[in-house]
Amino acid sequence: MIRFDHVSKRYAEGTYALKDVSLDLGAGEMVFLTGHSGAGKSTLLRLVLMLEQSTRGQVIVNQTNLSSLPMRASPKVRQSIGMIFQDHKLLRNKSVFDNVALPLLIAGLRYAEIRKRVRAALDKVGLLHRERSWPMMLSGGEQQRVGIARAIVALPPILLADEPTGNLDPDLSAELFNLFRELNQQGVTVLIASHDLYLIRRMGKRVLILSEGSLVDDIPADPTREGFYS
Amino acid sequence: MKPRSLKRRLRSWGRRQLYSFFSSIGTLLSHRFGTLMTVVVLGIAMVLPVGLLLTLENLRKVDLQQDQWGTLTVFLLMDVTEEQVRELEQQLGEHSVAKITAISPEQGLQEFREASGFGKALDVLDTNPLPWVLEVQPEWLEDQDIDEQVAALTSWLEGQELVESVVVDSKWLQRLAGLIRLGDAFVSVLGFMFSLAVLVVIANTIRLDVGNRADEIEVLSLVGAGPGFIRLPFLYSGFWYGVLGAFFALVLLEISLAYLRAPLASLMDAYGNSFSLAGLSIPQVLYMFLAGGVLGWLGAWIAVQRYLRQLTREGLFLRL
Repeated sequence: MIRFDHVSKRYAEGTYALKDVSLDLGAGEMVFLTGHSGAGKSTLLRLVLMLEQSTRGQVIVNQTNLSSLPMRASPKVRQSIGMIFQDHKLLRNKSVFDNVALPLLIAGLRYAEIRKRVRAALDKVGLLHRERSWPMMLSGGEQQRVGIARAIVALPPILLADEPTGNLDPDLSAELFNLFRELNQQGVTVLIASHDLYLIRRMGKRVLILSEGSLVDDIPADPTREGFYS
Repeated sequence: MKPRSLKRRLRSWGRRQLYSFFSSIGTLLSHRFGTLMTVVVLGIAMVLPVGLLLTLENLRKVDLQQDQWGTLTVFLLMDVTEEQVRELEQQLGEHSVAKITAISPEQGLQEFREASGFGKALDVLDTNPLPWVLEVQPEWLEDQDIDEQVAALTSWLEGQELVESVVVDSKWLQRLAGLIRLGDAFVSVLGFMFSLAVLVVIANTIRLDVGNRADEIEVLSLVGAGPGFIRLPFLYSGFWYGVLGAFFALVLLEISLAYLRAPLASLMDAYGNSFSLAGLSIPQVLYMFLAGGVLGWLGAWIAVQRYLRQLTREGLFLRL
């Protein structure tokens, strides 16, 4: 589903954000990406989202080689990926419903269809009763769940998350990871960048470790640990 | 990414338009005071050229009796006989003349008696003090300047023995016509400049609006909105600014007309001219709305495009 083939990303100043990274995520996998800050986690996600392009190597997402696409094709690529951000990136001047509806408005769906899907997504993250609220009225955990609802509302085959639990307490973090696992069980490929090592270990999923732009370890899933529920 | 039929794509396109259309209204309403100020500025910018245009149109409607413009009044010497007059008439006929009316001293006196109200006083006169008079109307030649024609005819007439003097009394009308022509050119220049002003005001307003919503644009682009979708609400905002500006300009125009109507009517009455001040015609009103909308759309386009290009170049909304 996501494949990196000897991918390097070098910035204009000459520093490497990623150095010769190769990896392969199968459809329906759930993978954690970890490493110190500045190790290249964000750059890796940015390449998948086509926020920028690799300097060398191929990035292949959902059978599309992003390295060969022009940048103006990037919105289409982003539409097929659900993205969750550490700071939620919700629109403060729009209701929870409207925030979640955004990807569907962009796709130009019928209002009745939008309504149905937004409510289903909000229901899945347990916030259906909050659809008329404003993001500012919600707690950090709730805001993050709105972000997740927005990421899954268009039913993308891939879900990316960048430090989704960065601002949450351990209980909420565990709850969130369980939500990701649930989504993964429904067939969505999930890639989560996180440095919450304790939780990552307890999830028993495959873990990729980045250090200074290089992939230094690829720990396979450990099914014996998979029983984790907070 | 499966290929979608044209029909479905058109429908999605329509829904996006509809969404942006309404969301732009919502945005304008959410900061009413700013919107109002922009609309007032736009209205004033639009009312100036349109007001001038209307003034000129009304001036043109005043009966300028253009057919009599070139008319020359030729006073002949006192002792000229009727035969001599007929002879002169014939000679005149060889020039480009549309119409000659000869007025005998008797006719002249009669007309004067009727028009002046000095009837009784005129009876005192033993002899008729009036000479023969010719009213000469030059032919309108399309390719020739009426001024030159009149001048040529005047100098020929003045060279004739029987002619005492030639009077051309329609100069001011010609000057007015010249002024109206100048005014037309002025309307074009003003129209162009104020259109530019409207464009710039809207572009600047939208530029600020875009700047204020940079976060929103970032989020939109992160969840897969293309430049088209990001641009659309701003284009509609620009369109609304233009249309509202046109509306306000019309309101200003109507107020001004109402204010001017009464004094103007009494003025024209004093000149014995029945005249009513006309407003804009329906097509003109529609044209104003159209012009406002198009200018607004265009101004917004310029502002948003510049911003989007800047963002992509600097990679601002690419931060994660």
